[in-house]
Formats: sequence, C-alpha cells, structure tokens
Amino acid sequence: MNTILQFEQVCVEARDRNQVVTPILQAVDLKVEMGERLGIVGGSGSGKSTLLRIAAGVLSPGLHLTSGNVSTAGVNMLDVGPKVRQEMYGSSVALVAQSLGEALTSHLTIRSHFRDTLGRDVADETILSSLDDAGLDGAKYLHRYPHQISGGERQRVLLALALVRSPSLLLLDEPTSALDVGIAADVLATITRLQESRGFALVCVSHDFGVVGRVSDRLAVMSRGQIVEQGSTDHVLANPSDPYTQSLLASIPRLHARIREPQSIVQQPVVVVRDLTVIRSGSTRALDSINLEVGKGEVVGVIGESGSGKSTLLSVICGLVPHTSGSIRDTNGFDLTTPLRDRPISVLSQIQMVFQNPDDSLNPVRTVEQSMARYTHATRDEVLAALDAVELSEQFLSRRPSEMSGGEKQRVAVARALLAHPQLLLLDEVTSALDVTVQASVVKMLASVQAATGMSMVIVSHDIALIASFADRLIVLRNGQVVEQGSVGDVVESPSDPYTQHLVKLAATTVHK
Amino acid sequence: MNKRIVYCVLGFHAVVALLAPLLPLAPTDKQDPGAMLQGFSAAHWLGTDALGRDVLSRALHGGRPSLVIALLATALSAIIGVALGSLAALAGGWIDEALARLIDFLLAAPTLILLLLIASFFGHDPFILSVTLGLMYAAPIARVARGSTQVLLARDFVRVARLQGGRGINLLFGEVLPNVWRVVLTEIAMQFTWIILAFSSLSFLGLGASPPTPEWGLMIAEARSYMTINPLSVITPIVMLASLVLAVQALVDRE
Repeated sequence: MNTILQFEQVCVEARDRNQVVTPILQAVDLKVEMGERLGIVGGSGSGKSTLLRIAAGVLSPGLHLTSGNVSTAGVNMLDVGPKVRQEMYGSSVALVAQSLGEALTSHLTIRSHFRDTLGRDVADETILSSLDDAGLDGAKYLHRYPHQISGGERQRVLLALALVRSPSLLLLDEPTSALDVGIAADVLATITRLQESRGFALVCVSHDFGVVGRVSDRLAVMSRGQIVEQGSTDHVLANPSDPYTQSLLASIPRLHARIREPQSIVQQPVVVVRDLTVIRSGSTRALDSINLEVGKGEVVGVIGESGSGKSTLLSVICGLVPHTSGSIRDTNGFDLTTPLRDRPISVLSQIQMVFQNPDDSLNPVRTVEQSMARYTHATRDEVLAALDAVELSEQFLSRRPSEMSGGEKQRVAVARALLAHPQLLLLDEVTSALDVTVQASVVKMLASVQAATGMSMVIVSHDIALIASFADRLIVLRNGQVVEQGSVGDVVESPSDPYTQHLVKLAATTVHK
Repeated sequence: MNKRIVYCVLGFHAVVALLAPLLPLAPTDKQDPGAMLQGFSAAHWLGTDALGRDVLSRALHGGRPSLVIALLATALSAIIGVALGSLAALAGGWIDEALARLIDFLLAAPTLILLLLIASFFGHDPFILSVTLGLMYAAPIARVARGSTQVLLARDFVRVARLQGGRGINLLFGEVLPNVWRVVLTEIAMQFTWIILAFSSLSFLGLGASPPTPEWGLMIAEARSYMTINPLSVITPIVMLASLVLAVQALVDRE
C-alpha cells in the first residue's frame, strides 16, 4: 500500500510575543494509507486542527515546526514554494475547513467558485455532475450565492469543490459542528458514499465520537498535543485502553442514562404560557401559539433544530424579546409580558437565564466577584456560597473571564444567576460550546444545583440524549410549533412525531458500542 | 512606524510645548531688519523669517496655542460625543433615530466653512474657538460611541445584567463604557489631530491665532510668499505640525 500522509515525531510549538513557548504537538506519529479512513478525536486545544492544517501545508502564524517530518503525498507541503503548493491543493490534497460561513466568497456564485478552482473555460456539465455527486441538484444551485443556501448545502458545495479535482487525500475539520443533528447525519452519509465510490484517503477531525465513528475505520485520540490512543474504530470505541479515551467515552450523554431521576408530581406552576405567538420581521412566525406550564421544581427540556424557535421561547419568557400575542404569567399572576424596565426587582429576579456562549456571558473587564455582586448586591459570603454550589473555589473571586476556561465561565454564569434566587432558571444550549467531558460535569453540576435549591429549569438543546438524561418533561419544537410533548420516558421510548423519531434514532446510534 | 520613534517624537513635542519659554531661545517677536530671510547660521540655527525673527524659536513655541485649544476642544468633544452616542444607543427607538440624524447632520456640515463663519463673527477668542471646534468634532466620536454601544448592548452579559435589574445609566457605566473606551479613545485621539489641523488651517487663513503670536499655521501663511527665497521658514513649521499629527495617529493606529 502507498502511504499518502505521514507524520514522524512531529513537534510544534507556539511562541507568543514574549517568547513564551507552549507545546502544541508533541512527537506525533501518524500514518494514513491510500484509501484509508482515519478519524481524529480530541477536546479543544488538543492540537487536532493544527495537525490537519499542517497536513495541508498550513502553519498558523506564531506556530513553529521544531522537529520531525511531515509528508503529504510524498512531499512536505510546508517546505515547497507557493506554486507547487497551489498545484497540490485540490489535485493531491484538499482541506475543508471548519467555519462554514467564511469558506465561500459571498459575492461569487457557486459556479464562479468552481471556475476559480478549475479555470474559466470549465464546462457546466463538470460542475453539475460534481454537485450531483455531493447530493445537490446542481442545476438549482449553479447561479446561487452562498447566502442563498443553507448550512448543510454549503457544506455539500465545499465538499464538491474539494473533490472536483479528484484529490487522493481529503482532510475534514469538524465537518458537521455547525449543522443540525439530522442534516449532519445526511452529510456524513454523503461523505461515506463518496469515499467508497472514489477511494480517496480521508482524515476527519472532530470533538464528537459520533461524527468520526461514522466516517472512519481507524481512530486516533488526541489530548494535549499527543496521540494517546490509536486503533480500529470499533476496537477503540468498544475497549478504550487509555484513561483519557475512557473518560471521553463515558462523558457522552446516552439516551437511557439518567443523571437525575425524573419527577412526575407537578406542583403549582411557576410560569404559565398561553397561546404565545411571536412574529418577527413582518410575517415570520418565530413562535406559533405555544402553551406551556413549568411546575415548581420541574425541569422541562426543549428540543428543536436551529430556527425552530427554542431560543426565542426562552428570551420571550424572561422578557428580553417582546411577544406579539398570548400571555405569560408567573405564580402570582403577574403579567410577564411587561417590559423589563417596568418590572419590580422581585419579579425580575424570579427568572434568570444562562446563555450559550461562555465567552459572551461575562463582562470581560470585570472580575468574577464584581460580575456576580454588581446587580445582586450579594455579600462576599453569598458569592462564595454560590461559587461553591457550582463547584468553584475561592480563587475564582478575582479572576477575569480571560483567565478561565469555557466550562469555568459557564459555571460562573450559573452561579451569578443563582445569586438572584430565581424560581425559574432558563438554560439556552449552555453546554454546546463545551468539550464533551466538560459538558458532562456541567450537567452534573446543574443537577446537583437543582436538587439543592428545588428551582424549576427550562433547558434548551439540540442534543436529545443530553436533555433526556436531565429533564422531567420534553417539548419538541419545529417551525415555532410544539410538535410533541410528554414525559421524557414516553417521548424517548415511543416518539410519535416523525422528526422526534428521527432524532431518537440518530441519538441511539451515535456511538455504536 | 517604529514604536520607539513615535514615543520619541511625542516626547519631544510634549517637552518643547511645556518648556519652550524656559529654553535658551531667541525671543519669538524680536525683529532684526539686518538679518531677514537668512538660512542656517550660528545665531539663527534654522534661519530667520521675513521680519528677521528666529525661525527655530518661533517653531518651538508655535505648537502651544494649537495644543491648548486642541486639548480643550478634544475634551469637550469627547464628553459630548460619548454622552450623545452612548445615550442614543441606550435609549433606542425614536430618540436614537433623532440623535443619529443629528450626528449625520453634524458630519455632513462643511466644518471649515462653519468655522470660518463663526470665527469671523466672534473674532479670535480662543475660548469660543475651542468650544466651536469641540462641538463640531464631537460628531465622529458620537458615531463611534453609538455603534460600539449598540454592539455591546446585544451581548449576553448585558442581557444578564438587565435580567438582574441593571438599567439606564447604571448599565451604561457598569457594562458598556468599560468595554468601549478603548475604541472610543482611538477615535478621540484621531479627532485631536484633526482639531490641531483645523486650528492651524484657521490660523493659516488668518482667523485663528493673530500676529505676532508664533503659531505653525500662521507661520506657514506668513512665510509662503518667500518660499523660494528661504524655504526653511516654511518647511520648519510644516515638519513640526506634520510630525505631531503623524505621531499621534501612528500611536493610536498601533493600539
């Protein structure tokens, strides 16, 4: 067999302006044969994207290859001149980068993108057939601009563009991280089909075992710049030998593994939503006649793909987004459609929310203590108690957001919400930006907070397994409407709506054991 | 530009502006009919102008009027601009819309012509000139402050603050301004340079500093007729003015 990609004892360092050296890759050995499918899994900062980019001849500014050999299709692409590298792109190696939004040029049509790659005189038939291969009806997309197609379609166009010159090695960086679960599964199926029919070698990098598990025969697990485990995908998933791999696998939320026991007795509701409709920008119904009650101490999970209105629902309940019609009331009958500035502080503090992006949920210039105490007027002891509830030590009082990891920031955000002593905590995709191991620990922390305080929660996520492990009741949203609701057990065991059935089926096969 | 050069130039201007009266220089207004429009000499290192005054001494003193007026005017425009812009963004709705149009109007107004008008009405009073300049140059600062406040108001930590009872001025000082000052400061420094240039232009046109005050714009205006005979008397104030403006702009460009 021919080796298409080889790393021998590759070490890469990052040097910042003050010459502080951080190792990024440490003695990485890797070999990919022609036609082979390799998956690389690791948390953020494990060096997996750097590895992939080096294979494509790209070294980000500030990084230095200090020792070792890299060979892609027989040459070190870091050493060759720009002309050779350009010639190799597409014909020997192709990289599909992570950020879908930036990968296509917004003022060029899909056809122009192909013409840029293949030359001006390329026949439309060539473009059409390669789009067809990627699972798109080519004729429909030829003259469209990137903003006129969906995320999944964009990913398919990128695939078609990468493969149009028949490279022998395809590198994929988080091919589905920006996509909804259902669409992601379809894109992965297309990748597998293309690989089988064309026989190129494939290296796919992701933080998600579910993704690499589907498109790889062999699996490498990375942690802190090192490959800690390598082997056939089935073997690694079934018998992980490295402790890090074991903890990664154990952290994946499973459909039937509960973190918190569901409660069926619903006491008086803390919030009652009736016929809630939100119409945005003219006529789009972001939410359409939603009815919802959240009982005291109940955890309600809301699932839906992007655009289903699940985040809007939370924003409307807490008062950040105005409603169009319908009513929202709390236990005492207070009208929760009142604008925020007209609510008494006692009503305001009843409902608190934690947002998706950890980097955005804390003021970058304030310390943790300042952020937490500024509006809640909490004493230092109260702040410490709240930090303790989210399992953070006293040291964090004086830290700023830039000195904390994503998981720590999310914990502080939860602690900050706790200080207001809310009856209802709204959680908007709070774990989706976190690594899977961190995700699991944050969810466990939320469960213990819920048990200790008895507060109600509404948790929004696209991950049905995660929600099912935590919530009492599930609501499935689609196009702003509730398509299914019931206790977690009922929905997961016997979903009635086709979309829910699809989600449950995907979640059940995420990692084949 | 190299950072060290920038700091050196700025330090030079600061020292000279503060200490010029104390330096062993020829008096700025001492005329010498016997030595007009001379080049380099031991007595007059950078030569003399048409009235026989020492160019070096006048050039080193020449930044003081502009700097005083520019600092005053910049402080005023910063206060007005930041207040106008951030309050507009915070208020939202029709108030924001109205203030935004006001900012647009000020941006569209022909600055120099308005300045000429006001200067010809109110004369050379430096206080009135500073206030006028401060008002006119507040618009770009207001626009930047409004834009960055809008961006910040949409961020999650500001939303959380609102859910915890933060509102109005409290929200502005607590969450927004600590995060926008960096961007706004850059814009303020840029406006500072434009104000210096505007004041020098006014002096050049005869409506800023009045003779015999040594002022760069005025010096250029006085000497330009003799540019072919003694270029030094024109070049010196130009170099002083340009180096100050460029150094300030280079400084904020880096940040």
